[in-house]
Amino acid sequence: MEKLDNKHLALYEAKGGIVGVDGSTNRVGGAYPHFVEVFQGLAKSTLINEDPIYMADIHSPLFSDIPKNILEEDAKKEKERETKNRLLSDIEVKVALEAAKKYKPYGIIMDGSLIRYYIYSYDLWMELRNECEERGIILLGVIKDIKTTIIGEILGEVYPEFKINAYDRELLFGILDYGEVIVIEDEVNSKKESGYSSVFMRSSLSPTVIGMDIIDSQKPYLEEMSRLVFTLTPENSRGVPLWLDLVDKEVQISDAIMKNLLERYLDRDIYERFFVSERARRTL
Amino acid sequence: MKVVGITTQQEVFVGSRTRNFRINEFIIIEDPQQKELMGEVVEAHTFNRYIPLNIGGDFIDNSVLESLKSLGYNIDEETIYIGKVRLLNEALYPVLTGSDIRLPKFHEVKDLMIKATKEEGLVLGTIRNTDDMAVEMDQEFQNLLYTYEDEGLCQQREIPFILDLKSMHQYPHIGVFGGSGSGKSFGLRVLLEELMQHNIPTIVLDPHFEMDFSETASYFEDKTLDFTDRFKCLQVGYHVGVKFQDLSAQDLKNLLDAASNITDAMNNAVDVLFKNRDSFQSFYNRLRMLIEAQEEGSLDKIENRIREADNEEERKAWIERRELYLSYDKTCPYSSVRGIMWRLKRLDNEGIFSKDIREIEEGLQSGKLIVVQGNTRILQVFSTYLLNNLYHKRRDYKDSLYKNTVTDYFPPFIVVTDEAHNFAPKGYNSPSKSILKEISQEGRKYGVFLILATQRPTLLDETITAQLNTKFIFRTVRASDIQTIKEETDLTVEETRRLPYLRTGDVFISSASMGRTIFARIRAAITSSPHTENPFDELKNKEKEDEEKFMNIIKDKLPIMETDLIQLISEIEKEFNITFTKDTLEDRLKILSQKGLISREETIFGYRYIMSNDE
Ligand SMILES: Nc1ncnc2c1ncn2[C@@H]1O[C@H](COP(=O)(O)OP(=O)(O)O)[C@@H](O)[C@H]1O
Ligand SMILES: [Mg+2]
Repeated sequence: MEKLDNKHLALYEAKGGIVGVDGSTNRVGGAYPHFVEVFQGLAKSTLINEDPIYMADIHSPLFSDIPKNILEEDAKKEKERETKNRLLSDIEVKVALEAAKKYKPYGIIMDGSLIRYYIYSYDLWMELRNECEERGIILLGVIKDIKTTIIGEILGEVYPEFKINAYDRELLFGILDYGEVIVIEDEVNSKKESGYSSVFMRSSLSPTVIGMDIIDSQKPYLEEMSRLVFTLTPENSRGVPLWLDLVDKEVQISDAIMKNLLERYLDRDIYERFFVSERARRTL
Repeated sequence: MKVVGITTQQEVFVGSRTRNFRINEFIIIEDPQQKELMGEVVEAHTFNRYIPLNIGGDFIDNSVLESLKSLGYNIDEETIYIGKVRLLNEALYPVLTGSDIRLPKFHEVKDLMIKATKEEGLVLGTIRNTDDMAVEMDQEFQNLLYTYEDEGLCQQREIPFILDLKSMHQYPHIGVFGGSGSGKSFGLRVLLEELMQHNIPTIVLDPHFEMDFSETASYFEDKTLDFTDRFKCLQVGYHVGVKFQDLSAQDLKNLLDAASNITDAMNNAVDVLFKNRDSFQSFYNRLRMLIEAQEEGSLDKIENRIREADNEEERKAWIERRELYLSYDKTCPYSSVRGIMWRLKRLDNEGIFSKDIREIEEGLQSGKLIVVQGNTRILQVFSTYLLNNLYHKRRDYKDSLYKNTVTDYFPPFIVVTDEAHNFAPKGYNSPSKSILKEISQEGRKYGVFLILATQRPTLLDETITAQLNTKFIFRTVRASDIQTIKEETDLTVEETRRLPYLRTGDVFISSASMGRTIFARIRAAITSSPHTENPFDELKNKEKEDEEKFMNIIKDKLPIMETDLIQLISEIEKEFNITFTKDTLEDRLKILSQKGLISREETIFGYRYIMSNDE
């Protein structure tokens, strides 16, 4: 696969630039349920440097509506994990939606598989999908850690005696050449029914392979988008396009910021009571 | 532009996305809970959280950044500018983070920056990084000077630095420190030009023979100011010297000591041998005859000489020697007298005793700048005598006013010297040091001021350093000198850290009269030093000159056979009165041929030098 030249990229610029979307979470406090979790999403356009789109949400199990029942502790934790995934995915889709409306970009690159949004934020996701299809904005997900087992499964069918039990990431490690792409036939793609088409690509000199999802209606753009991702990925990186790395850096909520925010906006007494763990207090 | 981060009552950080802060810039903080606060930027940083970009330890290749640029994203725009600001006056409370900041107007900083008008002070340069405020500056402060920058002569764009002359009465002495090539001499030149314009009587000790003001600097096309009538260069031993009759025993001992250190025995001997109102000749003769007598070895032998004298004259002479021998031989050992004699002759050979200082006094009386030139050693000797003399004249005059007696008028004056550590060294005594010390401690009372420049402040006498109330500090690299500057000035940590990196001609001016340190650029001097030739250029030029001379000599002798060199040497000797040895002549021919000025070819008889082909 060839990298895109600057003229081609300038065309994207003219058509609204590229938006990167990422989210992050951080928590302060002690052991469950005495903590506060903050979620932050960021959509940043290559074109408009001023006011990137930030959104944030906050959650604490102390104030969650899950019924308190000591006996159901484990189930509750499971629920909490789900809530967390939902909130993070929600916030990412929300900023993407806002970006689609506000920036009208050529494409939006999300950090991570698009399947997450389908699972955790179905309604919002459908809204974003429709918006992008209507406006002709290409939606792409870039996956650092491929969790699928598509290749392993097919190999398993062909050679049942090998009992292959590995992620695609592991099977493809070091197999692809720099810039080489594997297109996954929709018939074998487990994500197909959720409405996605996917490829694997070795986008940097590092032997790791990344994945990309695109919504099925935009499948014709998959090759073009792969080239874009390839172009924007530094050859000495772990394979993530630089733009997503920048967005990732900016969306992180540092511990210092968390602490500052909470200290500033919560009553000191409450803050101490709930969010300073015994251990932290002792070392104070 | 806003206040960011943690603040105190003395210091804050300010940040901007668009404006780069500059060191020594003034800003005003609009703290909503306090009145406006003025501060000075003491450190400036730019920061880009993505540069250097580094993912997994490796730097990003540029092509990706280029690609992003094509997509409309310029990573440079992520740069933010951060300044550390020190408040001029402590605030009542820590400054509110998030307060707006703005640049001050000229009238808001005028009192801080300008202490005198051009009529009342010395226009020495511009205050760096004040161009924004200078825009609305009063007419009277505009176009006072030029600066000389990399791009050539520049019009004044910043607020001028004007050293208040009258404040010298309160803060009398000035130190000029800085490493070699930092702009000290140039700065002194500017200072002296200003003193001349104000007709201030000034003595300059110039060991480098560089303080001549007759040449206009090359960057000024037409003569802007003529200093010819305002200064005079006088060389010790040639134009000026010591009037022997005016010397006290102490003066003489100082002089002798400066010629070469004297022993205690010599010291005593001078006390015994020197008579008030002695002329050089009378003192010299006394020494000479005493030595001759002592060389006879004993009184008996001298008596012999008297008895066997050929004529009356000789007899008288030996009688005289006998008298001297009887009076002084016991107290003045032969070796001491010899030592004094040797030193006296040395001083005399340098011409010190053949002139006097009248021309200097007259110059000062008429408000001129007098440049006294000589090598360092002779200046040490002469200045001791000169400064003692002038200082006491001025002191006597002032005292007589006080006591209501009559003494001739003598004006206040300024003493300026480069390489001051040679005149007032730390750690050991030197005659010129005591008078400089005296002036540094009491000069103020009598209106006698010092301007001392040195590249080694560490080697300058510390009592004197402590008396220098205004200090000009140019680029300084040597750690020990930076340490001294730290101890002797109120430069901040940030400022001392910058010392090794200052541009030539940029200077911190730490002055009690300003109450704070000012970062300035010395203006372009109107005149230039007579020998601005780079020493390496000088060597080159000299070499070229020699080459041409040699070429002229041998041109008509070509072709030259290697075997004929001896013959050639005697020819040259006859015609040009220059003698070569065979080796030097051969060497020089070889060098010329290496440079292609002549050609050297091999023949069966040896080498032959001929005219170069391209001539
Ligand atoms: N303020 C100035 N503006 C422009 N050039 C300067 C300035 N100060 C010094 N220079 C240049 O730098 C050179 C070295 O300066 P100089 O005063 O001789 O250094 P120092 O006496 O400290 O060894 C000078 O020849 C002069 O050309
Ligand atoms: Mg010098």
